[in-house]
Amino acid sequence: MTRQRNEEKVRAALEKVWLNSRPEALSGLATLEGFLEALRSGRTNEERLGIALSAAHRLSGSLGMFGLSEASSCAGEIEALLCQESAPDITVMAGLVRRLRILIEETQVPTRTQDKCDL
Amino acid sequence: MPRSLLVIDDDRDIRQVAKTSLELVGGFHVIVADSGQRGLTLAHEARPDAIILDLMMPDLDGRKTLAQLKRTPETASIPVIMLTAKVQADRQELVGQGAAGVLVKPFDPMQLPDQVCQILGWVPSGKDEDRSDAAEK
Repeated sequence: MTRQRNEEKVRAALEKVWLNSRPEALSGLATLEGFLEALRSGRTNEERLGIALSAAHRLSGSLGMFGLSEASSCAGEIEALLCQESAPDITVMAGLVRRLRILIEETQVPTRTQDKCDL
Repeated sequence: MPRSLLVIDDDRDIRQVAKTSLELVGGFHVIVADSGQRGLTLAHEARPDAIILDLMMPDLDGRKTLAQLKRTPETASIPVIMLTAKVQADRQELVGQGAAGVLVKPFDPMQLPDQVCQILGWVPSGKDEDRSDAAEK
């Protein structure tokens, strides 16, 4: 019972942490959207790539803790795309970034059970 | 007296969630550090029973921090679990460098304490309580 009660406390704590973290997650997403725009207009450089890579890595690492496993995977795919030696495919990147926005925006309260995206 | 853990990660969310999970679910005493440098200081001062160390951090990253911990006699025997997203590529190398094991990010906060115990060969706290609860029913 004690462990079960404590797990409920963890869930409640996670909700609070997520409420504080959601704006940061959206900010990280905005960084990726900014990089996508730069990619489209040919204004990318190493510094921008590094910042985008860091944002994708952070999102990939943290979103899954809140139960946003699909969003975490999506951010991981973006990170992998940015790690490639060749320039990222704009169409693929745009699809992933759009999907990531939907997944984050639709999650008001975290859950360890599921996340979904109707695309 | 609960076992103590030091969590070193530059990501505030990960520190917060790991601390909450390890304390409430695992019953550990947890201290946190937001950088490799701060982690080294705390490891030396607090001598935790184990350390959970993020691999990718600015400045002093996880590899350099691990190397420093293992080089220092006072902290060399403290088991260090590395936290990384690139587990397949890193596990062998990190264990070769002295890590006790590797945890994959993102982790499930409900499973984290058990994973830590499994790597370190510790009996998870609360398991005995669970058994007592079952026996009472």
